[in-house]
Amino acid sequence: MNQNILTTHAETSSETGIRTEEMLLNVGPQHPSTHGVFRLVVKIDGETIKEAIPVMGYLHRGTEKLAENLTYTQIIPYTDRMDYVSAMTNNYVLCHAVETMMGLEIPERAQYLRLIAMELNRVASHLVWWGTFLLDLGAMGPFLYAFRDREKILDLFNELCGARMTFNYMRIGGVKWDAPDGWIEKVKDFVAYMKKELPSYHQLVTGNEIFLSRIKGIGKFDQKTALDYSLSGVMLRSTGVKWDLRKDEPYCIYDRFDFDVPTGTDGDCTTRYHLRMEEIVQSLRILEQALEQFPSDGEVIGKVPRVIRPPAGETYVRIESPRGEIGCYIASQGKDKPWRLKFRRPSFTNLQILPKLLEGESISNMIAILGSIDIVLGEVDC
Amino acid sequence: MLGLAKGLGYTFKKLTEKKVTHFYPDVPFPMPPRFRGIQHFSPEKCIVCNQCARVCPTECIQLTGKPHPDPEKKGKIIDTYDINFEICILCDLCTEVCPTEAIVMTNNFELAAYSRDELYKDLKWLDDNNTNVREEN
Amino acid sequence: MSELLQQAPSLGNTLWFILAAVVLLVILLGFVTYAIYFERKVIGWMQLRIGPNRVGPLGLLQTVADVTKLLIKEDTRPKNADRALFTLAPILAYAPAFGVLAVMPFTESIQFADLGIGLLYYIALSGITVLGVITAGWASNNKYSLIGGLRSAAQMISYEVPLVMSVVGVVLLTGSMNLREIVEAQRDMWNIIPQFLGFAVFIIAAQAELNRTPFDLPEAESELVSGYHVEYSGFRFAMFMLAEYVYMFGMATLITVLFLGGWLPIIPALDFIPGIVWFVLKFSAYVFLQFWLRATMPRMRADTLMSFAWKVLLPVALVNILLTAVIVSYQQGMF
Repeated sequence: MNQNILTTHAETSSETGIRTEEMLLNVGPQHPSTHGVFRLVVKIDGETIKEAIPVMGYLHRGTEKLAENLTYTQIIPYTDRMDYVSAMTNNYVLCHAVETMMGLEIPERAQYLRLIAMELNRVASHLVWWGTFLLDLGAMGPFLYAFRDREKILDLFNELCGARMTFNYMRIGGVKWDAPDGWIEKVKDFVAYMKKELPSYHQLVTGNEIFLSRIKGIGKFDQKTALDYSLSGVMLRSTGVKWDLRKDEPYCIYDRFDFDVPTGTDGDCTTRYHLRMEEIVQSLRILEQALEQFPSDGEVIGKVPRVIRPPAGETYVRIESPRGEIGCYIASQGKDKPWRLKFRRPSFTNLQILPKLLEGESISNMIAILGSIDIVLGEVDC
Repeated sequence: MLGLAKGLGYTFKKLTEKKVTHFYPDVPFPMPPRFRGIQHFSPEKCIVCNQCARVCPTECIQLTGKPHPDPEKKGKIIDTYDINFEICILCDLCTEVCPTEAIVMTNNFELAAYSRDELYKDLKWLDDNNTNVREEN
Repeated sequence: MSELLQQAPSLGNTLWFILAAVVLLVILLGFVTYAIYFERKVIGWMQLRIGPNRVGPLGLLQTVADVTKLLIKEDTRPKNADRALFTLAPILAYAPAFGVLAVMPFTESIQFADLGIGLLYYIALSGITVLGVITAGWASNNKYSLIGGLRSAAQMISYEVPLVMSVVGVVLLTGSMNLREIVEAQRDMWNIIPQFLGFAVFIIAAQAELNRTPFDLPEAESELVSGYHVEYSGFRFAMFMLAEYVYMFGMATLITVLFLGGWLPIIPALDFIPGIVWFVLKFSAYVFLQFWLRATMPRMRADTLMSFAWKVLLPVALVNILLTAVIVSYQQGMF
């Protein structure tokens, strides 16, 4: 932590003779709006933030180091626990990296199952974001409405892979389970339900004048800053950069589907809010198409050697998680365990811009900005 | 003001809508067939191949075997089998590798206990945990 | 009731006063208990939950259990807190909230003191509550409390101005500050119709005075953890809770009296229903509005909150006074 922040400045007004002093405020690690164990040391003058320093690492479990002593299959459950709001994308990025190294062929049906799982998870993740963001802004209701709908997705996952959050669903070369009987129909029903339900979300929140006044023009940054800070996902797209790995570097089978990448230009919380809501719509669009095209039968796991030993060398793959660009770097020495594993976690990278955004803002705005970045602490600290 | 009114209208409509609360502790919560709960272990099926202990990502399974009491037969039989549910993450890998389906998942998931010691489940406990056993493993 | 006040003080009527006050306190505690219960139920229903249902039949004893828990909890005080002020703050917040009820006419006969300046008394006394909040924020020696306390100082004082201004129209219309006379003057038409602007300003400013959503900045769970009472626990915290709900009781009573015609029926034909029933109905409608808003609204931001008070509410209230003054003087044949 930067020690400079600890010195606070005091001055006595020559006119009134009143002595004023800056104050250090510890936001977190047990603050209700930091979405986990995230600590933010802010120096405030009244309610105006002069300086903010994020302190991370309270949830650090050393996943990357642990992975060096685990076989590739064993690492998959660990990835569930990084971005626990969207574990399917994490599963996928690891499997994708290993599959790329080994040049494995993934069966068609498994590809579709993976894609459906990932897109459902994206919707679930954005719903969590929507609910918690509104909760941060003081509205309690949206949280429960969002969680009601997310619950439906989790129930679908529970049927698919037997867990609600830590899925451990994907395997190198495919997926663990085929879709159970009637599952595809249930997903179809859910997509139809969600499309019907989304307008009511807008009815409840999007037009609310108080809400709009809370987020308009808050946490603004421009395109150059976004690129300089290596932001990704909605944080980047809100400044007008059209960059979505599903479109620009299609992985899995995303190139078969027709969907838009919503972008905004203002780069403030309002833009990010609308983009995330729009992404739910696009995800539902992808899901609809995928469910139509879903192959009627086939294998769900390809031909995979019993012991997974990627050839010596290194690889880096990246995919679009709900939070941004999640990457996985594997350096292999031809053994069954990685020599080095590294995850590029979008939450962590996106969080780096926070001190810059917070300068000169008030405490209320701080909460809105932090919420709009959409971090998951399991992923920040990894 | 229109936005506020719309929001108020929405919440008012919800007032009479069907509630989604589960009556969980009063009414058992049914889990889908694939649900990964606490493992069931049947000692008679176990061939002490040690695969489950090796595949476990958190190393929470500990087992020992002993020679088969019948000297005619080869191989070993299981002597002790402990799962430490303090660190077990119910990832399903042990049941996936087990060649004889000696260790399988059940739909039971209630693990809360007052003492950590109670979370060490031994062979007998896991053997008795034989309700709601999962079909496909 | 009021004739008691006219008598010379004696042991007998002092006992009567105390008894009446205790009865009101008990009614009030009952109200608070079930206001909290209904708040949780209503918000629960709106959020597709079922709300408290475990303690007692239908969860009716939930609040009783909660309060009992608070009362028997250890009394903790932060080491560096200002002892005297820390103890004083909950009392300072609670006493005026209870005190204002003395002038409230619930029906024609149920009223404790029929003051000529009832309205002024209410406004003056309720202004003291903010002191309790600031004191709590300061004495806790906690930065979140301090910010919460200062926010509430700014907020409650700014909103008191439009609050007072908005009732001036009612006073002009009635020509009296006596709450009973204000109700009686609404026989033909409730004040909500001629004084709609005033009503709108009042209801918004009252929300801010009560520190309730969307103006719950001093508490601001998600920003300031819980603002000025973050360090309070046990019965001191219960006092703050009590003050908040008693104040809500007071505000609901005041709104009913000022704008909704007090104990008067909707149409004179329904006169056979006792006044207290009408009063409770109108009162409950306002309390329900509180819960409804809480289930729907996000929180406002401090700076928009302040500019809203001074730039929107105050001018509107002033326009309302002007309009009312013009109408009243026209009716009295001044031009």
